[in-house]
Amino acid sequence: MEKSEVAERVKKVTKNILKIEGDIDDNSNFIFDLGADSLQSVQLVAAFEEEFDVELDEDGALKIQTISEAVDFISPYVNK
Amino acid sequence: MKYDVLRSKNLECIFYPKSVAVLGANRVVGTVPHDLLDNILKSDFQGVVFPVSPKEPFIKGVKAYKYVVDIEDPVDLAVIVYASSVCHLALEQCGKKGVKAAIIISAGFKEVGEDGLKREKEVKAIADKYGISFMGPNCLGVINTDPLSNLNASFARRMPQEGNIAFLSQSGALCTAVLDYAYAKHIGFSKFVSFGNKADISEIDLLYYLKDDSKTKVILLYLEEITYGIGLMKAAREVISETGKPILILKSGRTKEGAAAAASHTGSLAGSDEICDAAFKQAGIIRCDTIEDMFNLAIAMSYQPIPAGKRVAIITNAGGPGVLATDSVIHEHLQLAKFSDETTSILKKALPKTANTKNPVDVIGDARADRYNVAITSTLKDDNVDSVFVILTPQSMTDIETIAKEVVTVAKESEKPIYTSFMGESDVAVGIDILQRNKIPHYILPESMSHACSRAYYFGQYLQKTFLEPKIFSDVDVKKANELIAEAKNKGKSFLTEYESVKILECFGLPVVDNGLASSAKEAAKVAGRIGFPVVIKIASSEIVHKSDVNGVKLNIQNETDAAEAYTSIIQSVNESKPGAKAKDVFVQKLIEPGQEVILGLKNDPVFGSVIMFGLGGIFVEILKDVSFRVAPLDRITIEEMISEIKAYKLLTAVRGRKAKDIESIITTIERLAQLAASCPQIKELDINPLIVNEEGKGCFVADAKIML
Repeated sequence: MEKSEVAERVKKVTKNILKIEGDIDDNSNFIFDLGADSLQSVQLVAAFEEEFDVELDEDGALKIQTISEAVDFISPYVNK
Repeated sequence: MKYDVLRSKNLECIFYPKSVAVLGANRVVGTVPHDLLDNILKSDFQGVVFPVSPKEPFIKGVKAYKYVVDIEDPVDLAVIVYASSVCHLALEQCGKKGVKAAIIISAGFKEVGEDGLKREKEVKAIADKYGISFMGPNCLGVINTDPLSNLNASFARRMPQEGNIAFLSQSGALCTAVLDYAYAKHIGFSKFVSFGNKADISEIDLLYYLKDDSKTKVILLYLEEITYGIGLMKAAREVISETGKPILILKSGRTKEGAAAAASHTGSLAGSDEICDAAFKQAGIIRCDTIEDMFNLAIAMSYQPIPAGKRVAIITNAGGPGVLATDSVIHEHLQLAKFSDETTSILKKALPKTANTKNPVDVIGDARADRYNVAITSTLKDDNVDSVFVILTPQSMTDIETIAKEVVTVAKESEKPIYTSFMGESDVAVGIDILQRNKIPHYILPESMSHACSRAYYFGQYLQKTFLEPKIFSDVDVKKANELIAEAKNKGKSFLTEYESVKILECFGLPVVDNGLASSAKEAAKVAGRIGFPVVIKIASSEIVHKSDVNGVKLNIQNETDAAEAYTSIIQSVNESKPGAKAKDVFVQKLIEPGQEVILGLKNDPVFGSVIMFGLGGIFVEILKDVSFRVAPLDRITIEEMISEIKAYKLLTAVRGRKAKDIESIITTIERLAQLAASCPQIKELDINPLIVNEEGKGCFVADAKIML
């Protein structure tokens, strides 16, 4: 899967979970720019797993700060 | 250790901001970001509040901003409640916005380990880049009850009432417990601060700020770790001497761990807690053992004047508590006042015949408010009385409420302090409530009352003290001493021999006797002959710390033949006891006449710097532990205090036909030792044990010395 497609789907899931209308850019920080709280961070990881049908390393996933970091983190899993 | 005490922190913006932005606010009731914003909005804050939230357009009816930089108006204070992982982003934006002060509430920094420490350093670097002063991270927040501000930027459950006590705490959780405790006792606060990890603003900055805070009369501080002891002492001394504001510190961690690995007597006796005690005392800081103790003293000092003297009048309606109070007065080094004839006459006229009109005054179990009134007012007027203790036990006819009101009325007119103890709990509650609401110090037990009065009195005495400039000697050779130290270091030595140690002491004019080093029997005889008999010969090897354990000492040698024999005998016994030790040198020293043995020591403490120890010397020093400590530099008055403080001080004075010892020479020796400490920071520990003190006018001499680098 192309990275651009991963990015699109990550943004779609993020907007859905965090209830954001409008665009979000690749450098958006989940907490600082998008307002995710700790519960939503866990929900996001679960939603990414469901979206891409993968099992992510949870400790690593929770350290992700931005959309682009999430894309970099998820891409290797989907292309295995 | 460097500490930039000159950099003025923007504490005014923290306590009196005109506008506050809460970064990371949300709408979820019961979370820190929500409750903190709620507290600011509810506390009648005298400025503007800007919630900053990435998602919410408004919170609690107040317009919210996505970023702090979006706020059009200036922001004085940023309160950051974001997760620790993004605090640096928030602070960076604060810097761009021109915010000069912040409170970082968020946890997840130094206290959680390496990753957290890295985050804390990153945040500190950003703050330094933009000149932002910040409290925290990992703290409960800040409360200022001054009506000019009315700021509750914390997630505590309640805003305390206004008062003149400032409470500063390294622990946030303790703050909430203290707020609850104080609320029940009607204790108010001027400033209430949780400073958490103190990555930027520390207790030292806060002390300097509170020095000039007109709303604060007493400062309470809970500390878990002291990072810069000398800075704390300096700040405390300035606050106390310039303003007379008492500083009460509850310092946790009374452990012996620090002393465990020490190699010298001084090192093992000078544990971190002993040094802390000594340093606090020296700076005029009152150290408290418990939170209760801290507040017992705080209300005594905040509500009442400091007692001018130690003479106490006790007024009680029961004999037993009167006796208990009397015992505790004596135990606390106070005195029972002796009333004037006029007072006695008034009491005799007003009280029943069965009453005791001498101190403690027993107004008898059936006493009502009128008897208490006469007893309190007459003793307060007596020039022989410095403070009055009012004790009440609840009898069936005791009018607790009226007596409490009477005490309040009299106390308001009095320039002398009044302390109360309404003993019991349920029946006396109504009286205690009146006393506490009216700021009359109340204690459940008379012992606590005596303790509080005593600490207040002795604090007053500290305020009267004068300090002199430490003496600086010009006949010292700092260069040579440091060359000797460098030479030993280059050889990889951490223990210096007695000879090497004595040579360093000589550079500072410490009273060492004539001495020399010898490497053969012949040389030993020659050196001894030059010094003059009798002499002492001791093994000189850095591998042997305890010389007598290896039979390495020969005393009272009278001629050259005996000196040569002593050399051979010492080397032989050392080789037998410790085969392989490099032992070929002996230290020859003039025999010192017997006198009083004392110990002097020096320890370079990582927190407080050079600490000087004085005590009863000899081989029992570690068993008896009769020693005193002070942090260098030392002035003469401080040295006199540390000498007279040990229990065995009487042995130095003229007692039971013995002549007084030469205390003046001890003072000079300690002055010189303090100068050595300041000049040779590479010395970790130093023992002079014993220092032999002769009769008055005949000096003192170093009989043995040991230096560790």
